[in-house]
Amino acid sequence: MGHKITDDELLDELKRRFEQNKIAVKELKTLNEELKIANKKLGESEALKSHFISNITNEIINPFTSILGLSRAILSVDKENWKKVVSMVALIHSEAFTLDFQFRNIFVAAKIEAGEIFPEIIYTNIENVIDSVLDSFKYEARRKKVNVDFKFDIKTDNQEPFLFKTDPEKLKLILANLLSNAINFSFEGGVVEIVAKIDKDDLVVSVRDHGVGISKENQKIIFDRFKRLDSGINSLNRGHGLGLSVNKAIIEMLNGKIDIQSEIGKGACFTIRIPESESFTSDLASEANETFFDTEEETF
Amino acid sequence: MGFVMEDVKTHFLYPSSLFASNEPHIVSTILGSCVAVCLFDATTKIGGINHYMLPFWNGQGLASPKYGNIAIERLLEKMIALGCKKSNIRAKVFGGGEVIETNIAQFKIGQRNIELAMEALDDLKIPIVAKSVGGKLGRKIEFNTETGEVKQKYIEKT
Repeated sequence: MGHKITDDELLDELKRRFEQNKIAVKELKTLNEELKIANKKLGESEALKSHFISNITNEIINPFTSILGLSRAILSVDKENWKKVVSMVALIHSEAFTLDFQFRNIFVAAKIEAGEIFPEIIYTNIENVIDSVLDSFKYEARRKKVNVDFKFDIKTDNQEPFLFKTDPEKLKLILANLLSNAINFSFEGGVVEIVAKIDKDDLVVSVRDHGVGISKENQKIIFDRFKRLDSGINSLNRGHGLGLSVNKAIIEMLNGKIDIQSEIGKGACFTIRIPESESFTSDLASEANETFFDTEEETF
Repeated sequence: MGFVMEDVKTHFLYPSSLFASNEPHIVSTILGSCVAVCLFDATTKIGGINHYMLPFWNGQGLASPKYGNIAIERLLEKMIALGCKKSNIRAKVFGGGEVIETNIAQFKIGQRNIELAMEALDDLKIPIVAKSVGGKLGRKIEFNTETGEVKQKYIEKT
């Protein structure tokens, strides 16, 4: 403490700092304004996208449903001279199937972003849900020469079907997204394994492939929308990276979780854990009808 | 009264969703640390409500009304699309209770959700005419989209 600061020095220092602060505040203000403009632009493009997509839903889904239905009908015809036709139709079916699937994701994403989606909880036959997803991917798996192996590890008494309170349509989309990825990222001749079980009252379904795998860094970003991983095999596959971000949002809506286990070269295993819903959608709707007791309520 | 006098349509509002209608509705929702912003235009008698869980969308995942900044803007857009005039719109804000006790500022989601509502509505120049925010309890609210009236009662947890 050799030098004692004089009042003048202190004043100068204060003045200097005050000026610095003023500049910093000004810069911050400009930055803030810029940020606001950027944010506004982002909001505008978001709104545009949401509106556009919800308007075109029917125009696109309907033709695709017909294409899928027709080609599927022709595919089941099994005659020698139909071979060429069948192979062409198989291609049409595959194209339409992929588009249909991608569009469904886009529409659900748009609904999520518009805040117009909510769980529709009913008693759901889980085995049927998974079977129907597997069935819809039958030709896709065959085309890519991938075997899909499904193990339903849930036992019930009296051979009654296993029922679980959840949203069957959302569950179907979650599984379809996982299965689509697993098939797409498998090598030719590969196997995709699906296991469904009950653990601590939660429904746990894992979808495992033996494809290229996902690095630890990429595991952190795969749930971001419009992100697709760049790896060698990927260029052969299509997709716009929306599936997993849609999945994450729907799984959250059902209060569930999704985990990845993967290493490069060792395939990937996605596991979803979904708790049984406490109430049916219809219960909540009727609960919404109940009015409050006068003593407890306040009015604003 | 204990019963609904007229046959008004009801809607249960899920977290991360929003609702606005030019038909009279009673919209109910349950709030813990989440915040619901009710917007009402007395001229057109159109009301809308959101229910967000976190303040800001971080740019990852879907830009859904799970996030306050998105939920408020999108609700306003929807009201305007239904024919409301922004200058006629008034806001009421509910929720943001700290149902889980914590001392870490980052975790005070209720508080951050409330602040976001105040700032966003201030930015949009929408006056807040009533609010019931914060505290340690959850809330159940009923919003009448035709009158703009909100009934609230406290609940133990969400």
